[in-house]
Amino acid sequence: MTGIATRERSGAVHTRVETRSDVSVIVTVVERPEPLDALYREYASALDSCGRSYEFIFVAHPFFHDMLEPLHALQREGARVRVIESPRSIGETALLRRALAEARGDLVVTVPAYRQVQPSALCELLAAVEDGADLAVARRWPRLDSRVNRLQHLALHLTAGGLANGTLHDIACGVRAARRTVLQDIPLYGDFARFLPLLAIYNGYNVAEVASPQHASDLPRRIYRPGVYVRRLIDILGLYFLLRFTEKPLRFFGLIGAVLAGTGGIALAVMFVQRLFGDPLGDRPLLLLAVLLTVLGVQAIALGLVGEMIVHFNASRRRSYRLREPSVPNAASPESPQLSS
Amino acid sequence: MTPSNVPALSVVVPMYNEEESVGPLVEALRAALAGHPSWELVLVDDGSRDGTAGVAESLATKDARIVVLRLARNYGQTQAMQAGFDRARGGIVVSMDGDLQNDPRDIPLLVAKLEEGYDLVAGYRMNRQDKVVTRKIPSWVANRIIIRLTGVHIRDNGCSLKAYRRELLDKLHLYSDMHRFLPALAAATANARIAEVPVRHHARKFGVSKYGLSRIAKLLADLLTIRMIATFRESPLVMFGLGALSSGVIATGFFAAWLLSVMQRIASTGATHVIDYVLPGSALLCIALAAFLMMLGLIAEGALQKVRAEEQLERLEPGAVYG
Repeated sequence: MTGIATRERSGAVHTRVETRSDVSVIVTVVERPEPLDALYREYASALDSCGRSYEFIFVAHPFFHDMLEPLHALQREGARVRVIESPRSIGETALLRRALAEARGDLVVTVPAYRQVQPSALCELLAAVEDGADLAVARRWPRLDSRVNRLQHLALHLTAGGLANGTLHDIACGVRAARRTVLQDIPLYGDFARFLPLLAIYNGYNVAEVASPQHASDLPRRIYRPGVYVRRLIDILGLYFLLRFTEKPLRFFGLIGAVLAGTGGIALAVMFVQRLFGDPLGDRPLLLLAVLLTVLGVQAIALGLVGEMIVHFNASRRRSYRLREPSVPNAASPESPQLSS
Repeated sequence: MTPSNVPALSVVVPMYNEEESVGPLVEALRAALAGHPSWELVLVDDGSRDGTAGVAESLATKDARIVVLRLARNYGQTQAMQAGFDRARGGIVVSMDGDLQNDPRDIPLLVAKLEEGYDLVAGYRMNRQDKVVTRKIPSWVANRIIIRLTGVHIRDNGCSLKAYRRELLDKLHLYSDMHRFLPALAAATANARIAEVPVRHHARKFGVSKYGLSRIAKLLADLLTIRMIATFRESPLVMFGLGALSSGVIATGFFAAWLLSVMQRIASTGATHVIDYVLPGSALLCIALAAFLMMLGLIAEGALQKVRAEEQLERLEPGAVYG
């Protein structure tokens, strides 16, 4: 595989003037894959049309390894295609990181194994990155798909959209372009690859959105298993906590705890006053509810305190700010602390 | 800037949308520190949306003593200050606001006080030039609460003009909104010697104030954190153990009330069988809470054991060794 790429670089096949930076296109094959050779041809011809030199990296979950067969034929034809077959069942984020480690292009485009937007969007995204965006994400617009899909889109944006400060309109679109160094610096883990633009905004990267008409193959109605929706919801909750409260867990748990314990406490106080005037407590089931609320509230606050303790004792190891690259050469030192993950 | 020439004094100024203030501030600083042999100014642009960064960087190209840091987005004053502290090289570091309300002429006073043998010198604003209802009263209330809860008598926690020894800053790590409680944190976690000095305060000339009024809940959460860290940093298990103990006491109370009421009813009605689920149920809930708190304490103890051990090692003062 490596040999093929080297032959390309030497110019044996590729005759175009190489003034632009190399592009690595990473295709993560984790769900609903379409024929990958057709996908390659479509994206490759789009990149050809805007004069880019490129390599493709297909990285696949074990479940889809038989889908990779046509790619080996492409390799034999001399296409710049590399294939990573993950031996273990790892998630999209891990696959993406694995592929990023292999990528050689200065610019990286990530696409899912299915087509969401017109291939010409790739060129526009790359242009946006060269115009100064740290990360450019495609937005399927205008949307032409079924009402069910759009309803799910709406639900996603009602829950996770608030984290984007209103700058993103299509979080679920996996067609994205960035400088390789930027993608490698964004702290990615867990199942957060799909929320990459949100993490980028949180870490102070400049994210641009490029509208592109929806691809015909993205139009059919999609309904997933119920478990998928539950996991997405948990992901969003986790992301919300990560982006808003990682450094101040007590504000999150403390608010919940104060509401619960406050309600319980008021009910308890009322009942104890009434007890002084004669109502025996043992006859009032409300007492159980009040005690339960208070107990839950104290638990929430105690959890928040443990969270604060962990943050406090780890504060010396992490810096949550990120410095912008200095635009004046002598203005700042390059030693930019990284967010530890 | 020659790297070997480390300045004795670093002034750290976080700035957010202060493009009109940068120039006058630098002028005032130059005038105030004219007699000082070596200083540097670290301007931290906290993701301003106006021309603050541009103005600051153009000043930096003309004066090698000025360093500009640009944060990638607006992270807030705490992070901006920490960024400045991380970059500052002086043995003494002074922080101040970027809005010209602090007066750089006070810096030498703070530094002189620091050199009398303190780790932190906080300014407090005489004749504060701010709106009474939205700024002065909330600030007064907040300072009362802070003194009460932390036991550290700092009259004016909201005044950014402070001087620190480098060694103290190396022990403190600011996160969340903790810059406001820096003296309390310094006293609680690093046994800092703290002094106060009156400083001048000017009315805002440019821009708008970046504070709001509704901060009491956040303040309380932060204070609770500091209080807890100050009291229980050596033994989280003790804190949760005490919580569990009080929960157990309450459970015992419910049990006692239950027994009492059962006996009363038997005595008054002569019944042999009295059903009451509410009081023993409440007692059991409290026992569940006690168990939960104990387990949480164990987790906290275990999760933090390594970090705390390392931190205690760092904190060991190089004292006298006998034998």
